Parts: sequence; C-alpha cells; structure tokens
Amino acid sequence: MQASANNLNQTIITDHLVAQCKKGEVRAFRELYNAYSEAMYNICLRMTGNTADAEDTLQEAFMQIFRNIERLENAGSVTAWIKRIVVNHCLSHLRKKKVYFEEVDNIEVAEEKAGMDEDSFAWTVSAIKDAIQDLPHGYRTVLNLYIFEEYSHKEIAAMLDISESTVKTQYMRAKDKVRQIIKQKNAIR
Amino acid sequence: MPEQSFEDFIRQHRSEFEQPGPRPALWDKLEKELAPKKKGKVLQMLGRNWLKVAAVLVLVVNTIVIFQFLQMKKQAQVATVSPELQEAGMYYTSQIEKRLSEIKAYPPAVLGLDSAARKELELRNDTYKVLETELVQNPGNERIKAAMVRYYQLKLDLLDKILDELREKQPVKPKQSNYESEM
Repeated sequence: MQASANNLNQTIITDHLVAQCKKGEVRAFRELYNAYSEAMYNICLRMTGNTADAEDTLQEAFMQIFRNIERLENAGSVTAWIKRIVVNHCLSHLRKKKVYFEEVDNIEVAEEKAGMDEDSFAWTVSAIKDAIQDLPHGYRTVLNLYIFEEYSHKEIAAMLDISESTVKTQYMRAKDKVRQIIKQKNAIR
Repeated sequence: MPEQSFEDFIRQHRSEFEQPGPRPALWDKLEKELAPKKKGKVLQMLGRNWLKVAAVLVLVVNTIVIFQFLQMKKQAQVATVSPELQEAGMYYTSQIEKRLSEIKAYPPAVLGLDSAARKELELRNDTYKVLETELVQNPGNERIKAAMVRYYQLKLDLLDKILDELREKQPVKPKQSNYESEM
C-alpha cells in the first residue's frame, strides 16, 4: 500500500500505547485519537464534502477502531489500518447516499490529452479545492483516493469493486473536469 | 512556460490542502460511547468469541442432558426390574452365598477345583454379568427375567451337588468362623 498519513501529529504510536488501548484504557484511546483525528478528519471532509457528514463518519470510524483494536497486530501498521477503516466508512457513507461506482468506457480518455498546455494556466490550492468539490461524487472519490490518500489504481479498484482501467479512466476524466471547472470560473471573472 | 502537472502541484502544496481537525466535542461523544465498553468487558469478550462460547455451551448442555437421560433411564430400569425379581434375587443370592461360604471352608485339596473352576462357582460370573446387562437394557423382557431366575436355580443346584459330594468325601462339617456362625 502506498498510503501514508499526511499531517499526522508527531505522536509516536508505540506497541505500549496499542497494548494500553487493547486493555480499554480511555487515556490511551485519547492519545491515539489525538494523533490521528486531524488527518482522518481531512480524509472524511474530502470524501463526504461537508463538515457534518465528515464528523459523523469520523466518529463512526473511530468507534470501530476502538472496538477492533484487538485485531491490530503491531504499532507499525497502525496508520494504514486506521486510514483504511476511515476510508471504508467514507465509502459506506457514499454508498448510503446512493453514489455508485460503475464501469466506464475507457476508449476515449486513456492518457492525458495532448495539447493541454496550449492554454495553460497556473494552478492554485483554493481553485483546485473548489473545483474538486464541484466534481460528481464518483470522480471526486477516485481523484481523492489516488492523489490525496495515495492509494494505487489497483487498490482503488478493489475498494470500489470496479476494474483498474475504469479507475484510471475516471481519474483522468476527473482531472480534466477540474481543469475545465477552473477555466470556466476564470473566464467568468 | 509549460503548465505544472496537476499531480506535481498537489504534491508540492500538500499541506495547504489540509484543514484544522474536528470540533473538540467529537472526542467527548466518543468518550461517552467508550465508557459503557469498559463495564461490559466480559460481555464484549463473550461477544468476540461467540462461536467458541456457543460451541462450549452446546457441549455442556449436551453433557447435562445425556447425564440426566442416563440417570433417568437407570432409575427407570431399577423401577422396572420388577419387585418380584428383586425379591427372588435377594433370596437366591443369600442361599448361594451361604453354600459358597460352606464350600470355601473346605481345604483346596479336598475341594479339588482349580482357580478357574472356583471363579466360575462365584455368584457374579460371566453368565451372570451378561444376564444382568441384558436385564438392564431390556427391563421388561420376561424371557430374560426367566433366564435370570433359572440361572439362580441352576447355580444353587450345582452348589448343593458339590456340597453333597464334599460331605461324602469329608463327613465332618468344616469349622465355621465366628463371623459365619453369627450370620
């Protein structure tokens, strides 16, 4: 798994802390929560698109993390384990909202289109953030999982139960869409 | 100047895409949900191992049921072994034991029986055990009851014949122990 946790607090998650969590010590759970809540909240926010759903999803995910901490074998895999639980909760949340991830025809957009540099423009963080929020759920999910959560196309395909080529195609389309949205907004200004 | 790639831009500005964490109240909610967890630790443990618990319970219940069934069966059998057979058994047993003790009072040389034959003379020999088992398994079977009575009778006859022969060989009545004379 390529996934790494960005912006994690610098708390070192030790085997001892994990052992304390397994004993059900609330103080240890709090330490674990403090270490991961911000990064995991950002995942939820990107995936769900709003703060209320992000907090609900994060809460559910952490409850599962605390309940299933026994299954965590060692502190070394804690980040990937927690992140996967959070992402799974986000995906469940999207499915409840009737967001479906379907196979798409990948003939048209297989690679980044040539000639994109003709009317190039400078990316900005706020423009990208806004544009991603305007993406359809399916595109946004694939794009977030790949570029922000750093899962591979193969891993995303398995999570969404679609083919790897569909993931690649959806990612390319999502990226194009982001560009189009930003261009449109720039044109209006 | 060529456009910087989307991926490169995001990687370079990764931290700027992050927002502050959730409201502090979220931890309070989680803490409240964690509290009952600690109380129900045993239940939780049972919950996690429900399959094992269920398997053990099934075994325990089975064992209890089988044990109770066997107990009931045994009681039923004792009750079903009819009172008249029990009475006959007690009578024959006392008679047989009496003759056996008389026979045993003779010295082995006079008795002239090897250990296998002496064992066969005992009340609870192999034939008796077979009949007893059959009777327990088929408490109401009249043929087995009759066979049991017949066994007692034959055994008593045999012991009487042996005693007669022994008395002929050695007319003097063997000395009885104090214990036997008291009986």
